[in-house]
Amino acid sequence: MAVVEINNVFKSYHDTEVEVKAINGVTLSFEKGDFAVIVGPSGSGKTTLLNLVGGLDQPTGGEILIAGHRLSELKPSELIDFRMDHVGFVFQSYNLIPVLTAAENVGFIMNLQKWPKEKRMTRTNELLTSVGLADRHKSRPSQLSGGQQQRIAVARALATHPEFILADEPTANLDSKSAESLLDIMEKLNHEEGMTFIFSTHDVRVMKRAHRVITLEDGKIVSDDVRK
Amino acid sequence: MITAIAWKNVWRNKTRSLIVIAAVTIGVFAGIFSMAAINSSVVQRIDAAVNEELAHIQVNNKEFRSSADIQNIIRDYPGVVSALESTPGVTKVTGRIIVRGIATTATKSSGVEITGIDVGKEKEMFTLSKKLIPGTGSFFETNTKFNTVFIGEKLAKELNIIRYILTPEALTSLKEKGIPPEIVSKIEVLQGQRFTSDKKFVKAYEKLLAPGEIQKYGWKIREAAWSYREGSKIILSFLDINNNQTGAAFRVCGIFRTNNDMFESLSLFVPIDELRQLTGMEEGSFHRVIARLENNDITNSMTPKIREKLPDYEVLNWKEIQPDLAMITDFINQIYAVFMVLILAALAFGIVNTMLMAVLERTRELGMLMAIGMNRRKIFIMIMLESIFLSIVGGFAGMAVSEAAISITGKTGINLMKYSEGMEAMGYSAHLFPTIDVQFFITTTILIVLTGIVSAIYPARKALKLNPVEALRGE
Repeated sequence: MAVVEINNVFKSYHDTEVEVKAINGVTLSFEKGDFAVIVGPSGSGKTTLLNLVGGLDQPTGGEILIAGHRLSELKPSELIDFRMDHVGFVFQSYNLIPVLTAAENVGFIMNLQKWPKEKRMTRTNELLTSVGLADRHKSRPSQLSGGQQQRIAVARALATHPEFILADEPTANLDSKSAESLLDIMEKLNHEEGMTFIFSTHDVRVMKRAHRVITLEDGKIVSDDVRK
Repeated sequence: MITAIAWKNVWRNKTRSLIVIAAVTIGVFAGIFSMAAINSSVVQRIDAAVNEELAHIQVNNKEFRSSADIQNIIRDYPGVVSALESTPGVTKVTGRIIVRGIATTATKSSGVEITGIDVGKEKEMFTLSKKLIPGTGSFFETNTKFNTVFIGEKLAKELNIIRYILTPEALTSLKEKGIPPEIVSKIEVLQGQRFTSDKKFVKAYEKLLAPGEIQKYGWKIREAAWSYREGSKIILSFLDINNNQTGAAFRVCGIFRTNNDMFESLSLFVPIDELRQLTGMEEGSFHRVIARLENNDITNSMTPKIREKLPDYEVLNWKEIQPDLAMITDFINQIYAVFMVLILAALAFGIVNTMLMAVLERTRELGMLMAIGMNRRKIFIMIMLESIFLSIVGGFAGMAVSEAAISITGKTGINLMKYSEGMEAMGYSAHLFPTIDVQFFITTTILIVLTGIVSAIYPARKALKLNPVEALRGE
């Protein structure tokens, strides 16, 4: 079953007088359990496509369905709740909340969803263990390395069992050891829990591990290689 | 959780937050403390007016105040007293005889209001007896065959009863009070000289001391040289009940000092029986009945009730007798409003600036929060709470500092002796004991929190307008 369906999507920007087509008629779908990367040169539309799939931005044409829901039919406030319930985000620069501990960052979305404390703590511990940072639950982001922060960001993204995780250049700021370790964790979650990951990246290490590599150029898909 | 994050966010940039909190603290302290000082001056003035001069309620013959005619007496004194005493809230009642006349000594004379009082009752009802200057006698406790009079320091000076003499004892006492020996030796040349007014004495020592020394020690030097001969004689002249000129010699039994120069220079007190005898007024006749109430706050509500009971008399409360006192209370409230507007405006600018900086610095983070599902309402509340916390912490710190300062200076007082002449001429004490109502603190707290809320609206709206995609790019 398709978790994400992208049907003939366009996204244009008006840069002064010139219309820039960031996404130019993309049709694509992601199945549950995909471990897919979107690659392409800078300005090819990778991040724009991820933002559209994550409901952070609206397409100027076409439609996107997530778990059967048409994003275009959702009001802005519904879209925020939809993102919280269905999409996990991992950002290039970690974007943890600096004033919260690792455990509080992981539990943040559960807290927004008003999970009972017991349940929230159990899930937080489970996630911190799965990313190998159970012993750092009280650490603030500033006390963690880049790799550790990104693992916390993955744990946060997974917290409320989203349909899929969008990871925009997740290894871009990491050294190779941290990047490999992060990818190990993501791969494991994909294998064991069937979590769907959609990456945008330039990183060869991510591409090597991906089951599917989609190449974008000038907002268009130029190749879609499935390696399963 | 939003509350916890907001609180933690306040302390992200400790220096900046502490600067804002310090600014709020200083502003609130400045506002509250200066209001407490001004308020104390008014409270002291009102207390003095009620406790030493006017009482809460005065009942007069309707013609008495305008004509000051000795014959305009209260016809039914027992009836008036009984009407007052039967009114709940009235605690004590007494009658007075009041005549206008002239006080004369060998060298000077002055127009005065002579008040005949029931010494025992007045002592119970008023604090004037406690204003006796030590060493000047007593409040009518002297056993003498002469008529006695209790007068104010200002009048005593005007009548040349008070002298300024630097005796050897006075110079020693100055040294004991910590005046440097070189200052004392500078003024030693004045030893034994008699000055008939403080102006002459001040002029004399001003020639000997530097301006800084005068400012620092002048008041203590004047105090030490202040001299009075107990039992000084003054002649009081006035009209009797038949409008014939009469008068008698009185011995000063004591001199009182208040903060009201006007009252001190105009009012003198004699036992009612002595005045009754001299004026020829009948036993049981009075010009004025005065009443004390349980407290100041019931004055306005009690006045119409008493007025209703005594329709044939002029019933006035202290606010009506001295409307300037009531006016000054309103004036103080207006000053408070101006002060608070200034303080709160400064506070608002500080908070808007700080919160705007906080929002701009955290654009990416706010974008992330929006991306992962924190709705705009929660982001708005978070920013508002941060601002409210800043203002509450600063506000409470300011109030704590103010409370400490008020409680210390409320005991030790603030000495404004430099301005005593001007202040006492208007009836205000130059020694302030700051005091403030609890209600004032509560109002201030509410206003500070409201300012925090209002000043957070603009930065919070700015945060709401962020587009998550642009914010995540850090734009």
